[in-house]
Amino acid sequence: MATLIPTLTLSSTDATTDLLNFSITDSLNITQDVVGPSKVKLTTSDLEIGPTSYGKSYVYLKNTDDTIAINIEITDGNSTMQLAAGEFAFFPWTGAAGIVAFSASGTPYLEYAIFEA
Amino acid sequence: MATTAQISITSADLMPGSALNITASTTLTKAGVTADLDQKESGVIKLVSGTEYRLGPLATEMAGDAHDIASYLYVHNKTTEDATYYVDWGIHETMIGRLYAGDWMFIPWNASDDGAEIEIEPQGGTNIIEYCLFNSDVILPSAAA
Repeated sequence: MATLIPTLTLSSTDATTDLLNFSITDSLNITQDVVGPSKVKLTTSDLEIGPTSYGKSYVYLKNTDDTIAINIEITDGNSTMQLAAGEFAFFPWTGAAGIVAFSASGTPYLEYAIFEA
Repeated sequence: MATTAQISITSADLMPGSALNITASTTLTKAGVTADLDQKESGVIKLVSGTEYRLGPLATEMAGDAHDIASYLYVHNKTTEDATYYVDWGIHETMIGRLYAGDWMFIPWNASDDGAEIEIEPQGGTNIIEYCLFNSDVILPSAAA
């Protein structure tokens, strides 16, 4: 069993007059399969990066491209996220529906990792 | 409204001999452009279990065409109860994951149409949710006559 510590910090000096600046962290027990930080070239065709063989997991995604967006679908055809250039996501995933990625155009690279609890 | 999100994911014992240390940072912008998002909504809410709730606006409640509709969603389950308390989250009728006590998530939500709304459903009892939504302009509904 391993411990995974994800931390998110959100900050803004002008979102509101009340400065936004907070961090949230968690401590997650990872006991099953892990896809370590990986990088894959996408096309406009579907690529399943998270198969349904996974159980309760935590997913990290990052679009490493400077211009091209990457679409993420969880359950084919269900548009869930669009990672613009440089954007990332971190979320819990049950594994009940697969995670599919494809580019809006061209061949951007997606960085991803999956941690099964 | 320049807002920055940073993440770090670390583990000293996940992969022996190679400590994990992922870091990433991004500035939250409107879809397809570098312009800052205009609106922010945040709060802490108590939600009873067994009911599906919509978190955030529908696409048609936000200004602009589909390419302008980008939102970023942060959700934190502040519940301190045991593992029987959690919040299912998903897009429309597709359940994607479960936020247990202390868990958080951050996603760039693609509010492409009204069938892509964020749904949350607490389980086990009353859950306390902290959330923050950064989005395009929301069009308020007309008041009842």
